[in-house]
Parts: sequence; C-alpha cells; structure tokens
Amino acid sequence: MLCDDCKNRPASIFFKEVLPDKTVELNLCEECASKRGLLGAKKLTPIEIMHKLLKQKSAQDEKVICPRCYMSLAEFKRVGRFGCAQCVATFDEHIRHFIKQIHQSDRHVGRKSQAGTKKGFEIYRLREDLKKALDNEAYEEAAKIRDKLKNYGIKDV
Amino acid sequence: MFDNIRWLIPSSDKTLPCGEENEIVVSSRIRVARNIESIPFELKMKQPDAEYLIGLIHSIIDGKIRGDFFDLKDLKPLERESLLECHLVSPGFTKKEKPTSVFINEGGNVSLMINEEDHLRFQGIGCGLNFSGLSSEVFRMDEFIGDNVDYAFSDRYGFITSCPTNIGTGMRASIFMHLPGLVFTNEVEKVLKGAMQIGMTVRGIYGEGSEIRGSLFQISNQHTIGFREGELLERITKLAKMIIDIENKARDVILTKARSEFEDKIFRSLAILKAARTIDSTEVLNLLSALRFGVGAGIVKDITLQTLNEIMVVSRPANIQLYFGELLEEHERDIKRAEYIRKRLGAG
Repeated sequence: MLCDDCKNRPASIFFKEVLPDKTVELNLCEECASKRGLLGAKKLTPIEIMHKLLKQKSAQDEKVICPRCYMSLAEFKRVGRFGCAQCVATFDEHIRHFIKQIHQSDRHVGRKSQAGTKKGFEIYRLREDLKKALDNEAYEEAAKIRDKLKNYGIKDV
Repeated sequence: MFDNIRWLIPSSDKTLPCGEENEIVVSSRIRVARNIESIPFELKMKQPDAEYLIGLIHSIIDGKIRGDFFDLKDLKPLERESLLECHLVSPGFTKKEKPTSVFINEGGNVSLMINEEDHLRFQGIGCGLNFSGLSSEVFRMDEFIGDNVDYAFSDRYGFITSCPTNIGTGMRASIFMHLPGLVFTNEVEKVLKGAMQIGMTVRGIYGEGSEIRGSLFQISNQHTIGFREGELLERITKLAKMIIDIENKARDVILTKARSEFEDKIFRSLAILKAARTIDSTEVLNLLSALRFGVGAGIVKDITLQTLNEIMVVSRPANIQLYFGELLEEHERDIKRAEYIRKRLGAG
C-alpha cells in the first residue's frame, strides 16, 4: 500500500481517528506522518524534561529564598537540587507544574512517613554527651546520662 | 570462600531465596531514597553535618539489625571498587568528598548508603524476579530508621529528595534481564522502545553508550510520584513477564531453526571458559551469556545459574584482585581470571 500523501513511498503508519460524524483513516509513510505532526517527538526522560524546565528563568527567581538553607529559586534552577526539606514548601507554587511535567503527577499516594518514637536524635545526643563526660572525667554527670539512656531501653551504654 | 571480599556472602539461609525466572531475570533491585528533615541536603551540607548523620545512623542501628558498617575512607581503593562491582553502592557514592559510610546486612543483599546524593539510600538486590521478598526487606530497614528520626516528608509531594526526579516514593525498582534471543532476532530494540513508551528507562549494562555486552539490559521505573510503591513494582513485574514471553518465543525460534549452530556456540563458549589461560572481562560476559542460555534451555546440565552468577561478579576487575588478595596489572588479571574460572567450572 502506498502512502496517501506522497503516493510514492510505502505506507507504514496507519492512523485512524473516530470523530462524532465520521471516521478518518490515513495510511502514511514515516516521512509524511512526521510532516503532519502525527509522530510524537522522541519521548524525553524525566531528567531531560527537568533540565528543559530549569531553563525557564524569571526575574523573581533571585527573590524567592528558602529561609532555612538560603537557597534561592534561581540557584535551584541552576543546580536542579533542593538544599533542604524546607525548599519544597518555599518553592511550592513555582515547582508544582514542574513536578507534574516530570512525573505526570504532583500528588504522592504512596507510603507515609510514620509517626514513630523519633528517639534516635536524643539517644545519639546523650551518647555523645556521655563520651564527653567520660573524657572530662565528670563521672557524676556520666552516671546521670547513663540513667537517661537506660530509660530509653539502652542496656549497653 | 571469599575471605578478602568481605561483603560477598555465599548464599545461605540469611540471604533471600532466588525469585522466579532467574535465568532471564539475572537480578531485581530496589532503591529507596530518604532524607532527614532537620539536616541540610547534600548541596548545603557541611562536614560536621555529614559526620553527625553517620554517627546518628550508627547509634540507631547499633547491633539491632545484624550487619556491618564500612566507612569508605577506611577502605582501600580496590575495596571501594569491589562494593560497586557487587552492586552494594552506587558509582557516585565511591567518589564523594564528604564522609560516607555504608551498612550491609548479614545476608549481604540489603545495603544502606549514608551521605549519597540523598542522606540515606536503602538498596536491596536479589536474584530472579522477586520484588515482594525484596521490598519487605528494604522497607523493614527503612521503617526501622524512620521510627527513630524525622524523614523529610510533605503531604503533597511525599518523601522529599535532593533531586526532583526521585520525589514521592523515592523508590526506583529495576530488573536486569538477559535477552540473547531478542538480541539475536533483532527484536530487542523494538521491545525496549515499547518499554520506554510506558514510562520505563532501558539501558544496556556493562558497556558504554549503545554497545551491548553479554545481552544484559536494565529496565527501571522513570516516575516516582503518583503511584503507590506496590503499583510501581506490579507494573515493572508485569512488563518483565511480557518481555520474558517474547524472549522465550525468540529462543524457541532459534532452537527450532538453528539448534546445532546454537549448541555449537554454547559448548564452544563452555570449552573456552574451561580452557582459557588468559581472558578479559568483556569476553567473559559474552561467553557467560551463551552458557546461561545453554543452562536455561537445559542443553548444559552440570552447571548451575548460581555458579554463573558468582563468576559474573567475582571475575570483575577489582573483585578478581581481592579474590586472589593481590594487586594485579591488567594482563596478570586476565591470567588470574582465567585460572579462577577454570577452577570454578571444575576444569583445574
């Protein structure tokens, strides 16, 4: 079968669109299909989409600054990385469409961060304090810290 | 057996049993990225932050999960390279300037990188198609840490990662497939293009750019937000099964039309591996591919896939040096590699 458009090359792409009043059928060669814009452009990977989007700069970018790590939106667009957890909330309105274009979604539906006991930070701090107390030969203080650690269920202090 | 490769643990009751389709699916992997709310991310992190994070995770795990910590600065360059060859760390991780540490569980199949691009990167690897077993091991470790710290999490965007391409679940699942049938029948490109159309990334592994070695391909999910973890794993499993079907059909065609030629190729590959006195790692990969095909088709009977998997890992450049416990120049490596393979295949 020859291409409907050029009537020269063999047709290799068969296109069918059902409209309310009629059905359009086209048998095209690759070149003519591409001329009609029927062949999707090469599918970009999320990283390629991200780099394309990061190039869209605005005069405001320097003024949107994360209060925690001081990363500006302009810097984010240069490096493509967040500086801290707070950046996402700071840049929210600027990155929502951006995340959506990269992932075709901007809404997390997966696992949630669990409440848990979150005692890891405190235990670690106490352990560090204990080391310092022992280094300084402050044995009374060390004993107090040991008791606190024991309250957390840590036996081997 | 692997005294010098401390993290290479021969399969035991502590490792995850092999999943299904383990000839075509060489391995399944899951990587989960997490960050701590109160600590700056990689770009804004200072040396003390990095040290604090390592100390914090050491203190949390503290023998409650069986395994070992390795600080990368304490390892020899060859050992760092070996961790990479065993797929326990990422390529970028071995090059970081900040302090980095990796925890490897006692089964040698789940690792936790500290101070990668994200604060924490959990990674699990298992042979065959086995996402359910693997994901429960990886998420168990993730939950254990998450119970002790505040992860960076947003209700809308999920787990916040350093790079927006990982945000949401922070999870990337991948399968390594051995597809000699599709490579031989020239169908591989078509099938892999189809995979890309449905949101998967595909690349040849071992080999730069488009050069394909050992007919091995990696397929992984591109999108990390908008799907539940289980859905992502289901999609990739479904795709793997589809590709396995097409691969098996291609192999049937090959074996019907050209059985003698293929048997010849398989047994010649085996003969070379059993007899070679010097061999480079690319040749090993290509010969192993033919042999794997032979084992899968039941043509080669006295060799197990487990042996082939071991040879694939141990014969890599850094691992082979660690295995023999000496630094070797390239040509010495090729000689020792041939020696190891002969021994492993019972050819002395």
